Amino acid sequence: MSLSKRLKEDFTTTTIVFMSVAIVINIVAGQLVSLLKLPIYLDSIGTVLVGLLAGPWAGGVTGLLTNLIWGLITSPVAAAFSPVAMAIGITAGLCAKYGLFKTWWLAIISGVIITFFNAVVAVPIKLYMFGGISGTGSDFLTSYLLALGKGLFGSVVVTVFTSNLIDKVATALLAWCIVKALPSRTTSRLPRSKNVIAAT
Amino acid sequence: MQANNDTATLFINKDSWLHRLHPFTKLAYILLTGTLVYAGSMDWEWIAILILFNICILISGYLLKETFRVVWRVMLPLTLFMVGIHSFLYPGNSTILVSFSGVAIYQEGFFFALTTLERLLVVLMTSLVFVFSTHPADLIMSISQTGKSPSLAYLIGSPLLLLAGMRERIKVIQAAQQARGLHTGGNIFKRFYSLAPLILPLVTGAIVEVEQRSIALEVRGFKSTSVKTSIRILPDSTMQRLARWFMAMIAGGMVISKLIG
Repeated sequence: MSLSKRLKEDFTTTTIVFMSVAIVINIVAGQLVSLLKLPIYLDSIGTVLVGLLAGPWAGGVTGLLTNLIWGLITSPVAAAFSPVAMAIGITAGLCAKYGLFKTWWLAIISGVIITFFNAVVAVPIKLYMFGGISGTGSDFLTSYLLALGKGLFGSVVVTVFTSNLIDKVATALLAWCIVKALPSRTTSRLPRSKNVIAAT
Repeated sequence: MQANNDTATLFINKDSWLHRLHPFTKLAYILLTGTLVYAGSMDWEWIAILILFNICILISGYLLKETFRVVWRVMLPLTLFMVGIHSFLYPGNSTILVSFSGVAIYQEGFFFALTTLERLLVVLMTSLVFVFSTHPADLIMSISQTGKSPSLAYLIGSPLLLLAGMRERIKVIQAAQQARGLHTGGNIFKRFYSLAPLILPLVTGAIVEVEQRSIALEVRGFKSTSVKTSIRILPDSTMQRLARWFMAMIAGGMVISKLIG
């Protein structure tokens, strides 16, 4: 199937509406779980879901737009990290395409892969625009590693990877659970559902 | 910063030339300043002039006070951490600026922190010029007026409208699950297990509505690319169009020359 035909199939009206819902879920999920006081943000749960059910391109666009809209709502700084969110969506979609979301333990592996690509895109932005600093608690880890003589690049890589690992693995697992819990008449309307629903 | 009550975004309703500018003009300005600051190898003195220029723009748009509040909120923790960490621990540190009881503040780290913060400040201010003075409906209309992508206009507008409703739904879900005995305290594993009963109702509820919404959209000719008549008027002028092209070309030229040279 040619690329443009595949893109048209991926971006049906149902997909577009799903993407807009996912963008809102990204923004509000953090608020929902705040009463659990866990070390996670869950700000890519919607992006990963779209990547699973509608393909990597749709997932990438969802992530990109989430951060841009966040920039409109809260602070333009979030918009600087839109490429990172885009990478998360694309990675999740590709992991699903290659069957890495069929079981819960494969979902955990996908979470680690997503964390890796998250770091690949986030580290250059954080280094070049923010000098490796984010103004949050993870900076303590960065300064500890700098004091050990690890160099700015290495310190930022380790900080970004470790501070995102639990969040992205939890996100991937939750996304897997959600897809399993959705009624099949809903998932069957989305283009890539066969990636996550194991054949019976 | 509290979002404006009328819109979900940070838009502030004032009457100024800035508010009447076409959204794409302001976006082109963000592109230009971002490129100038990051790809243009400007000295800190020129970046300071840009900051002053932005301050003048914000004053003329009656937005300076609100900008100052957001800048303070965003930049203060970054400044404290950046100056604090890099003055002492920046890898390229060699020249001591000030030293007391064995601990030294180095010049290289200090200036690295200051120049990074300066660049960030410029881009933050230009972004705020856009965000504070652009009503989201104008932004969405400018996208749909290009006639190229009704989906993109929808993808920006719909989340802004859905947001308030979702936030209400969250409170209901939290209360309902806690009434059913959800563990919000206890050890970290118990709390991780409590994630699913909170997230699943929100997501499944939202997704099940997707089918209804998409049918409603299709019935209203959503995917049509013909330009729709609108009650809202978005002023634009040839001068703005030329300015946009000019800014985009300078930005593009700088990126290309940075890539080549």
